[in-house]
Amino acid sequence: MLAHAILSGLVFGCYFTLVGLGLNLIFGVMRIVNLAHGDVVMLGAFAAFWLFALIGLHPLISSVIVLAAFALLGLPVYYLVVPRLLAARDSEMLSIILFFGVQQIIEALATIAFGTSERSIPGRVLGRGPLHVLGQTLPVAWIVSAAVSLLAVALVYLYLYRSRVGTLTRAVMVSRDEALASGIDVHRVSALAFAIGVALAGLAGVFSPFMLGSATPAMGGDVNLAAFAVIVIGSLGDPRGTMLGGLIYGVALMLMQTYMSAWANLLPNLLLIAVLLVRPTGLLGRQVRRA
Amino acid sequence: MAAELLRADDVSSGYGKVQVLWGAGLAVEAAETVVLLGANGAGKTTLLKVLIGLLPAWSGRIQFRHEDITRLRPDQRVRRRMAYMSELGVFPGLTIEENLRIGGQFAPPAQLRARLAELFETFPALADKRRALASSLSGGQRKMLGIAKALAADPLLLVMDEPSAGLSPLFVAEVIAVLRRFRGSGLALLIAEQNVAFLDLADRVYTLDSGRIGFAGTVAALHQEDALNRAYFGLG
Repeated sequence: MLAHAILSGLVFGCYFTLVGLGLNLIFGVMRIVNLAHGDVVMLGAFAAFWLFALIGLHPLISSVIVLAAFALLGLPVYYLVVPRLLAARDSEMLSIILFFGVQQIIEALATIAFGTSERSIPGRVLGRGPLHVLGQTLPVAWIVSAAVSLLAVALVYLYLYRSRVGTLTRAVMVSRDEALASGIDVHRVSALAFAIGVALAGLAGVFSPFMLGSATPAMGGDVNLAAFAVIVIGSLGDPRGTMLGGLIYGVALMLMQTYMSAWANLLPNLLLIAVLLVRPTGLLGRQVRRA
Repeated sequence: MAAELLRADDVSSGYGKVQVLWGAGLAVEAAETVVLLGANGAGKTTLLKVLIGLLPAWSGRIQFRHEDITRLRPDQRVRRRMAYMSELGVFPGLTIEENLRIGGQFAPPAQLRARLAELFETFPALADKRRALASSLSGGQRKMLGIAKALAADPLLLVMDEPSAGLSPLFVAEVIAVLRRFRGSGLALLIAEQNVAFLDLADRVYTLDSGRIGFAGTVAALHQEDALNRAYFGLG
């Protein structure tokens, strides 16, 4: 039972890394808190659901469409909202208030459009039968979701650490002022990071029916809580920390569900409080800022 | 007479509602070294930030090679071969090579490779640590990296904000020695400083006092007119 909890926890950890990655990328580059992140995940889930329900589109194909569509959606949202936010004196606090409002609007509109019913996509769509991994049995849908998540994380890593624009992105993460002084087109780099962050949230949404059980318009709040727990554990603003935070969160969640299932829903709150009290810099050491 | 590179006329600016610069103006000619002297809080950094585009000019005009650049973004000014070295000067969380690549971000790949090789030859201490994080360097080495990073942009004008800040006298002498090597290479320098040791490099000097240019002229004239005392102590 312990081995199964740990193994499935690692699989879920990969997925939760994806859930937190976009939020952390946006925070790391722009120092704004996208409280609507969970609702973007929800929109990705509904996009995948409707594409499957209406035209029978496979979720793996939907994931490519969602990735591209959400990235394109992110660009105008960035230029509409973020430059004004960044020009404000306390952009972090202002972003929390603004994106809280955006979150409420998205949830309300989604509830009107989709109703409150839970929607799901059968797990067998991603592959039939369980898979045997290291002597444990896991659903194929979990493995596929984790594999796609890992691929996305790897691509983000390559973008940040192996591409020219990725180096510029990390420079903005290190110091926005120095980046401006060095002639980096900070808005272009930030817009790209914002688009990627939104696209990653949408991608996480596509696989949420398989990993979280179903999709509802109200799921954004819980997803946000998990995403915040993941990035605070790993270190705010550090994409490498997100992987660490995701794995710790996934394993802890599965251990709780195995041994103390009634308390499992409290886990994100408990982890957030514990990390902020014991090591507010996160495990990789970057200081948690005012946000 | 050498060609005029940078000209700022009657520039006023500040932060929020606080005005820091009051009609400041200066000019830098090609291949010339100009030192902008002033005490702490005189407005040197503010003036440099306006020149490079990090702060908007409330009024006045800035020209670079006779083109009005007053409303251009910092990246557009860097593309016109105007580089800026801030007090921080480097990205501590990136490697030395990454810092240099950012400095030379607008160069074609082959040209950037050649420029990096040239810079590593000029700064051999950096070449040995090219994969190390800038945060692992000493204060003096970071300053050298800051200079190298700015030079990677292949600028016609390098604008420097207090290159002596946080350095011991020994390292200040080293920074001055490095900058001296670039005099006569065609590179123009505009150095904002409160350390008078940099006057050794200067072709011309401006003093800034409470956001206003107090003196403009040669180093010899500066000493004759006792402008240093006025700039630092408000005397005279």
